[in-house]
Parts: sequence; structure tokens; C-alpha cells
Amino acid sequence: MSKNSASLAGQLDLRRNRQNKLLVGWTLFLIVAVWCAYGTIIQDTDWSRIGGRSGVLASIGRYISLDLKLLPELLIPTIETFMMACVGTILGCFFSLPVAWLGASNVTPSKHILYPLGRFLMVISRSVHEIVWALIFVSVVGLGALPGILAIAMRSVGFISKITAEAIENIDKNPVETIRAVGGNEFQVLYYGILPQIYPVVLATVIFEWDINIRRSAVMGLVGAGGLGLLFFRQMNSFNYGGVTMVILAILMLIVIGEIISHYLRKAVI
Amino acid sequence: MTVLCVRDLRVRYSAKGPEILKGIDFDVQADDFMAIIGPSGAGKSTLIRCINRLVEPSSGKITLLDQDVRSLSPKNLRGLRRDVGMIFQEFNLINRMSVMDNVLSGRLGYTGNLRTLFRHFSKPDIEMALEYLDRVGLSDHIDKRADELSGGQRQRVGIARALMQKPKLLLLDEPTSALDPKISREVMALIQSIAKELGVPALCNIHDVQLAKEFCNRIIGLQDGVKKFDGETDNLRDRDLEIIYALEVL
Repeated sequence: MSKNSASLAGQLDLRRNRQNKLLVGWTLFLIVAVWCAYGTIIQDTDWSRIGGRSGVLASIGRYISLDLKLLPELLIPTIETFMMACVGTILGCFFSLPVAWLGASNVTPSKHILYPLGRFLMVISRSVHEIVWALIFVSVVGLGALPGILAIAMRSVGFISKITAEAIENIDKNPVETIRAVGGNEFQVLYYGILPQIYPVVLATVIFEWDINIRRSAVMGLVGAGGLGLLFFRQMNSFNYGGVTMVILAILMLIVIGEIISHYLRKAVI
Repeated sequence: MTVLCVRDLRVRYSAKGPEILKGIDFDVQADDFMAIIGPSGAGKSTLIRCINRLVEPSSGKITLLDQDVRSLSPKNLRGLRRDVGMIFQEFNLINRMSVMDNVLSGRLGYTGNLRTLFRHFSKPDIEMALEYLDRVGLSDHIDKRADELSGGQRQRVGIARALMQKPKLLLLDEPTSALDPKISREVMALIQSIAKELGVPALCNIHDVQLAKEFCNRIIGLQDGVKKFDGETDNLRDRDLEIIYALEVL
């Protein structure tokens, strides 16, 4: 009995301790949340510009009235956006192959120079935003779809080559040894020993990247790299809010289509 | 006729690491089916992989089919490997490829890169593959994926693949240790009869002494990288086995 009451006292102590910690934690959270809301929303907002409640609703309302006249103009940019994603992804795959080869520690031709270079290229590709890549390529090759394609390709390299390199590093070495043992050369080792083991992972990754690239190519036009983004930018500049909504709907439709296609493609691969 | 001659073979995986093989000498004759027995860790797999340089020896001399194995250029090494059929413990098939593609991969050493790219093998190669698949009893499974087969069937694919090389020597790395006793015996019998039929000598790692005695005419006993026995199967006494496996008892 005495042992029981002792453990009860211990439990009560323990619980009280935990309750106090939770109280402190939640209080701190609340203080930070209020401070953030005060600083950004209350102090940083130009309340006089927003006007009254009706003003806000009217602003939103402008977007709801669709500009159906824009419909015929949507077709070409939509296709262009879609193609930009497709071509950019394919080009990205081609760039990814050598990068993955350099950056996979078990197949890299030189562990001290080319392996770090491969890894560096992967990081560069991912750490620069697609819009920044697009800005760079617009200044290099001019306006249009080409800089968008190049930007998407560059941005895709990082992810595809990283996953591919990791898949290569995780392969079962036995088939590699076997192809060596039958007298195969390095290409044959790659083609028979490594590729069959990594292609499901690589294909699934490429499909995933393509899916993301549809989203990316939709905003490329904001910096002059063609597609729906350019149309979006023009509608915004001419205060045609109904047109803006139309473009957004077109982007939405593209993404849904991409989602459906990639769902079935992924199923087919795996 | 001596097909393979190994003299004072030593292997170290790294400069400061332990010596895995400590000066091995032996010969394989044209009509030998030779077993290498010994406890695990004795260096059996390393020894067999030195023959076709899947493992680089640190010193010693290996003469295979009148060629000095250790001094071959990469191109000539590939030529030599082509002549040495290898069968593996884990079968080492390419799982996502069909049985036929796996068997044909035994011809890669004779196939150019462009033909490899399209998996385009010559008609004689395909005929040979069908013949060997029939010989190992897999005619009904030609177009199945390799990973759909049972263990015994997978090893038969491995055998057919090795035969596709038109080997002048067979290296068998524990060909039966992933199989149950009954299948093991069948697979060993199959390999033995094919080797006899084609007149190809074989060098076989095996930890099952019973199987070694049953199928091999000569036996080498390894213990911790040192050869403890080398002779006809009939001369292998229990006393020799005790010496070979002495460390395992301790």
C-alpha cells in the first residue's frame, strides 16, 4: 500500500511537471503567433487602400467575370506550355545522364575530381530557382519558348540526376560481376548490369519531374519565356481580370491533365 | 594437359589488410572436375575470382590456356574472361530480363556495342541458346522473367548462360549452397555431365564435402588461405578433413 501511494505521488509529480512544460510551450507559441500577426498583418497593411468590405468583394468580383473572348487565344500558349514541359524534361534527362554517372560514387571515373563536380552540378541545378534560370536564358537566347525549355531542363537535372545516382549506388553488384565475368566491356556492364536495376526508379522520377515541370512552365512567361505565363502577364498588365482567371483555369486544366497522365504512366512503369 | 596453373598466389584486399590467400599452388588438368573445400572465410571465393581477375591478386603467377593472366591488357582480359564460364552462388541473373535474354547475355563478350544496345544477337547465338535451354530442361520457361523462376531453375539459367560462352574452363562458386539438398544433387549432376560431354574442366568451390566427394575427381582443401590438402578424391581421409576444418571446431 505504501509503495503504491509512493508511486502515486511520483506520478502526480511527473504529470504536474509535464503540465507546466506544456503550459510554457503553448504560451510561448501564442506570443510568437500574436507578434507575427501584429507585425505583418496589422502594421504592414495599407488599410486605407483596401477600403471597406465592399471594396474587397468588388476586387474579387472582377476576377469572377470570365473573359470568354480570350478562349481562342488560349489554345496556342497552352500547347506551348505543355510542350515546354515535355521537351524541357527530355532535355533534362539527357543532361542528367552524365551528371549521374559522374556523381555516383561506385561508377564515377574519378573519385577526387569528377565525383565532386557531379555532386556540385546537382546542387547548382537545384539551388537556382527556375525563374532565375529563365531570366538567365532569356538574356542569353532572347524571348520565346527556348529559354523556358532550357530553364526547365537545367532545373530538372538536379533532381533526376541525384535520384539516378543514388539508384546506381544502391544496385546489387552481382549482375555487374556477371557481365564482367562473361567478358563484357564497360558499356555492356552499364547496359546489362546496371540499367535494368535502376530504370523503374529513374522512369518514375522522370514522370514525377515532368508533372512538376508543367507547373513550372506555366509561370515561365512571367519573365518572357513564352507559354501561358506570358499571356497571364499581359492580362494582368492590361487589368483584364477576367482574362487572368481564364489563364489560371487553363493552367489548372493542364495540371489536371498532367496529373492524370502521370498517374497512369507511373502505374505502367511500376 | 594442364589448362590452369597457379603458383604462389597471394591476395590482400588492401595494403595493410590481412592476407586472404597465402601462397597457393595447384594445377587443373583438361579432364579435371576439381573441388575446393574448406570452412567459410578460408578464401575459396577469392581464389576462384582470381582466375578471371574479378579479384586482383597481389602476387603470384596464374597461367590459363597458355596466357599469363596477370599481365593481360584490359582488352585481352575480356577475351580471356569470354573463355571462362562462371556459375554463381546467387545465380546472378538479371531479374527484369527474360530467361532467353539472360542466357544470351553469355554471348556479350562476342557482341559489339551497337548490337548490345538493341539486344540483337545473331541467329546462331539464338539457336545455341535454345539448344542449351533444352539441355538444362527449361524449354517451357524461355520467355518468363528470370525472377519468376524457382532457385533450381534459376541456377539452370546460370548454367546455360555459362555454356553460351563456349567456355574452355568452368568456374563454379558455390553453385548449390542456395539450393535444397535434392536440387543441389540434380544441379551438380547436370553440371558434371555437361562438363564431361563438352570436355571442359571445372573448378568448383563447395562447402558440402559429401557433394565434393560424390562429383569431383580431385579436391583441394583450403584453411585460412593455406592449402592443406591436394589430391585425388579417393585419397581424402577423415584425418585430412579434420585438418582442413580444424579452425572451425575451435
